[in-house]
Amino acid sequence: MTLLKNFSIRAAVLLFAALVCLSSGAAQNDASAEAIDAGRLGGAEDLKIAVFPVVNLSGSAAPITTIRWLLIEALKDADATVIADDVLDSVMAKYRVRYIGGLDQPTARAMRQEAGVDGVLITSLELYNEITPPKIAITSRLVSTGSPVEILWIDGVGLAGDDDPGLLAIRLVKDPQRLLRRAVHHLAQSLTDFLSGQRKRLDLHPPPKKFSPGHIYRSTAPLAVKTPKVAVVPFFNPSARSFGGEILALHFIRQLWALENFHVIEPGLVRQQLLEFRIVMDSGISLADVDVIALRLNADFVLNGKVIDYQDYQGYNGTAKVDFSAQLIERVSRETFWSVKSHHQGNDGVFFFDWGKVNTAYALASDMVQLAVETIE
Amino acid sequence: MAKWANRISFSLCILLLILLVACAPKTRISENYHNPDVDFSLLQTIAVMPFANLTSDQMAGERVRNTFINSLFSTGALYVIPAGEVARGISRAGIDNPWSPSAEDAAKLAAIVGADSVITGAVTEYGEVRSGATTANVISVSMQMIEKESRKVIWSASSTRGGISIWDRLFGGGGEPMQDVTQAAVNDIIKKLFY
Repeated sequence: MTLLKNFSIRAAVLLFAALVCLSSGAAQNDASAEAIDAGRLGGAEDLKIAVFPVVNLSGSAAPITTIRWLLIEALKDADATVIADDVLDSVMAKYRVRYIGGLDQPTARAMRQEAGVDGVLITSLELYNEITPPKIAITSRLVSTGSPVEILWIDGVGLAGDDDPGLLAIRLVKDPQRLLRRAVHHLAQSLTDFLSGQRKRLDLHPPPKKFSPGHIYRSTAPLAVKTPKVAVVPFFNPSARSFGGEILALHFIRQLWALENFHVIEPGLVRQQLLEFRIVMDSGISLADVDVIALRLNADFVLNGKVIDYQDYQGYNGTAKVDFSAQLIERVSRETFWSVKSHHQGNDGVFFFDWGKVNTAYALASDMVQLAVETIE
Repeated sequence: MAKWANRISFSLCILLLILLVACAPKTRISENYHNPDVDFSLLQTIAVMPFANLTSDQMAGERVRNTFINSLFSTGALYVIPAGEVARGISRAGIDNPWSPSAEDAAKLAAIVGADSVITGAVTEYGEVRSGATTANVISVSMQMIEKESRKVIWSASSTRGGISIWDRLFGGGGEPMQDVTQAAVNDIIKKLFY
């Protein structure tokens, strides 16, 4: 009896010790992940950056001021020169800059001439949900103010508190602020990697093939230009998700930019043309619109599409769902060069204990778009 | 004895009559029509009009049309005019009812967007059906193709997929996902177009 009691006490002590070790290991990982590796920086100090207010595409209230502040802090830690808020405010007020989701030619010129800014950091918050487990998705891009205005860097991150819960859920993140800091850290790390000359994407892992597009059409003709210029126009969005068209367009911009074989035109410039020529797309882009946009921006292709579903869920139970179609229209032939349709859910191919489940529509769409754009080549 | 013989012969006559009725030719109604005078290989470019949505789901027509366009495109057999260009063509042609256009409207649109023919369609059923405690997804869709020059309907087909199967009744499960059912119906229609 005594022997049995001793054994139980020993087993309990051992289990407790193992639990403490695992917890401290997880905490250490978080601490190291959330600290910016200052040793890899270099080159960031040469750039003068303006950080635009965060665009809220999440359709809900979100701490966008905090996100911007965290980004500025991360850039300052990377020795980048960030212009003061009062300078940015004065330029924006003087030139009546109201659109902060992109950079058009007049705004870029004003930023360069008035504040000496080399690049503008444009950040879009695509998902923010504080209900446990919290969920967040952010896309950020650095756009040059020189001529031509172009995307220097773009990356994004979509995280859920239960992405990697670990054994006995000890790595489950319940604090939205912690998840937010982690997301900002990912972006800051990617940006500093770029600024230090190491161009790298966050999602280096190849996406699972189960998220491959359902239907693909690709013209048999080869790409006429080695690095074609692509103008991505906002997708037509009949889905229930607010700003679904803008969000999916950002996914395509990010993945095409990452392919390196395409020169993606800054969406702010595309928007400028849409406004100047009063182009309203009722259910997709017409060939006349393609002519105008491609001619004005000297683009070889215009990418357009439709978002049928872009669904996130709250809490633990639910499934992210993404359904879209996209087509690449060639400027010269005025024909569809490539067309794709993809529809998936976060629990596709998941059979046991949510193993392999994708918890955010952002992460799901990211994988789907990556696999889709790879078929263009 | 004669009485029994009469009864047997009467029964045989009745049986023979039933068998003869069973042998009557069954009138088969096909879900598919191809105009025999048209060479479909000459059709290269088509425009797909917005589908009429006769269901309670407001997005049903758009979802099915989107799936159909991309499925047809991916076959590589036909070039499909982009949906935005079709919308512009509808506006330019002044078509009031693009869900069920007249032959003249269809020909006018085809001429504007440069299509050889125009496909119209209707979604008559889309969503969940219930029978007792069992539910499943179902779709019914029909399409027709109007040729530009002759202004005639040269192809017509319909398809119904999904619904409650014996398996669903016995074991539950809710049937196939809506997207899979839609894809199955669209694939069936495309098969009927080409074969």
